[in-house]
Amino acid sequence: MSAAEASFVAELERARASSAHEPGYLASLRSWGRETFARVRLPTLKQEDWRYTNLAPLAERSFADARPDPGEVKGLPPAPRLVFLNGRLLPSACDLEGLHPRLRLSSLAETLRERPALLEPYLGARPARGDHAFLALNAALFEDGALLEIPDGVWVERPLHLLFVSNSGKPAASHPKNLVLAGRGARATVVEHYRGSGPYFVNAVTEVVLAEGAVIEHDRLQEDGPEAVHLGQLAVRQAAQSRFTGESFALGGQLARVELVAELRGEEASCNLFGLYVASANQLLDHLVEVDHASPHCTSREVYKGILDGTSRGVFAGRIRVREGAQRTDADQVNSNLLLSEEATIDTKPQLEILADDVKCSHGGSVGQIRDDQLFYLRTRGVPLGLARAMLTWAFASEMVDKLGPEGLRAHVGRAVQGRLPGGELLREVA
Amino acid sequence: MLRIEGLKAAVAGKPILHGLDLEVRPGELHALMGPNGSGKSTLAGVLAGNEIYEVTAGRVTFDGEDLLGLSPEKRAARGVFLAFQYPVEIPGVSNMYFLRTALNALRKARGEDPLDAMDFLAVARERMQIVKMDPAFANRGVNEGFSGGEKKRNEIVQMAVLEPRLAILDEIDSGLDIDALRVVAEGVNSLRSKERAMIVVTHYQRLLDYIRPDRVHVMAAGRIVTSGGPELALALEEKGYGWIEKEPPQALAAAGEAQR
Repeated sequence: MSAAEASFVAELERARASSAHEPGYLASLRSWGRETFARVRLPTLKQEDWRYTNLAPLAERSFADARPDPGEVKGLPPAPRLVFLNGRLLPSACDLEGLHPRLRLSSLAETLRERPALLEPYLGARPARGDHAFLALNAALFEDGALLEIPDGVWVERPLHLLFVSNSGKPAASHPKNLVLAGRGARATVVEHYRGSGPYFVNAVTEVVLAEGAVIEHDRLQEDGPEAVHLGQLAVRQAAQSRFTGESFALGGQLARVELVAELRGEEASCNLFGLYVASANQLLDHLVEVDHASPHCTSREVYKGILDGTSRGVFAGRIRVREGAQRTDADQVNSNLLLSEEATIDTKPQLEILADDVKCSHGGSVGQIRDDQLFYLRTRGVPLGLARAMLTWAFASEMVDKLGPEGLRAHVGRAVQGRLPGGELLREVA
Repeated sequence: MLRIEGLKAAVAGKPILHGLDLEVRPGELHALMGPNGSGKSTLAGVLAGNEIYEVTAGRVTFDGEDLLGLSPEKRAARGVFLAFQYPVEIPGVSNMYFLRTALNALRKARGEDPLDAMDFLAVARERMQIVKMDPAFANRGVNEGFSGGEKKRNEIVQMAVLEPRLAILDEIDSGLDIDALRVVAEGVNSLRSKERAMIVVTHYQRLLDYIRPDRVHVMAAGRIVTSGGPELALALEEKGYGWIEKEPPQALAAAGEAQR
């Protein structure tokens, strides 16, 4: 058993005792989580979904309970926002100013105490993905997270920020769990933002449920510290005519993986997924994206881009599943990568599993370097080599940043991405 | 201003230029003609600093300074500009952002203050009119989805904004219909000055109906085989390039003289 597994098993035992006063459905979910993790343990390279992602940086750490440092959290996003520190709500940093009056944005832990019946449909069921170590750990160990309820027909202009900060000096783990429930025809933008410092492990699970005709933009920004290990699950369930736009920016962490599963369960639902991962040094950034076309007449688009420098590694697995009867499915997936060094690598793997006959499915992608002819063109106009490289790298990345809806977030992400590109400081000078 | 002596260059180990001499003074416009494969574009690329070409012998000075030892961006800062035969498309970099970045990089290299976005825009708008460029192109990606003619106009706009001292125009006429050719040529003419020299590389005499050169040079097999006044271009038009390989270059020059 690895050091991490041993510490998780010990933590699971401790958690068993405190689960006694929880609602029955939750106790049952916790118990499933404990049993499942004890059985499956951490994934290894032998498992197909983990072939390219070595979890050693996680496995070799022994995690203690995360005790929040009393230090304040700076650089808060605009209200309305919820802020969590090491997996627990940090009320002093939260601000619900400007929250739409019909919207409920609250702590999941608080809701479990006050309105447990509301959460039974979501927490009462076992995760459909079965033997999943990180879903199991999260189920057994989550303490808190955000609950966002958008009633039928409510349109929300202001983006809702969920910020998760980890700042432990020693290895510590947190397992946030978030739930976004969008009613019929509801519209909102949710920003899920991770950052911190120290050798922490964050294992987040977010579920987004879209009722008929709901329109949700979900922007996921991972700016964890350089020693962090980040595992993020995003499960999206879409009813008929709903529209989900998901953006995933993976910038930080030593090892970070996002698994996104979007289920198109009603006719004419559409799902647009965009992602950008920017890795340097020895980072490993991984995306596993599965779009499950379970209904006819649904559309999905995926564009994921990667920029890899140093000895970093990128992993992208894109799976499109078209179920029997999901006729007139229209699905497209593109994964493009820019390698900035000889040592950087990308493993990219599209998978199509099509069980209907009247469908339009395509996938494409590229792995390349900065083009010499573009570089030369810029230089002949007087642009110095370093700046020319930075401009071309940013040109590749900016397409993804530009797709972000909220203007303030777009500016923030733009700066964050530029800050991680070689020569990014040169771009700021000429801006 | 520009002095080329005994220049030899190769691409991928294959010699293309076999000893080329040329001198260009401020205010002069030189036309460089010759059949495909004669080395015209190679010369343009070598002067701009394209690293795919390897200079194997000879020297090139610009105002007495060794040009070949300078990076492409330093050459640009000295005032050398290449209008590309095939301008590259750069999606994601807007035309105006690119051009302002370039202009400010040149200004910085010359110790001048950068232009802010508003001042720059005023300059760029004015210069775009030189070739009647649609203002809508300003915010598109550099050359992205431009037609051949639009790309060539964009090269001239860049020249107009960057104000080089030596402009090398590589087949600025290729792929243009007669109306576009006239617009581009008028743009070039409006940018001629006593201080600015130009080398116009072309396969066809047609361009020289609109842009009158001071000197015409004919290249064949990596050398300048003959030089003369504008009338030399007319002689070439009549006799074609096949002729210069068969007859001694002097005869061609004489033919040019005779036409005058």
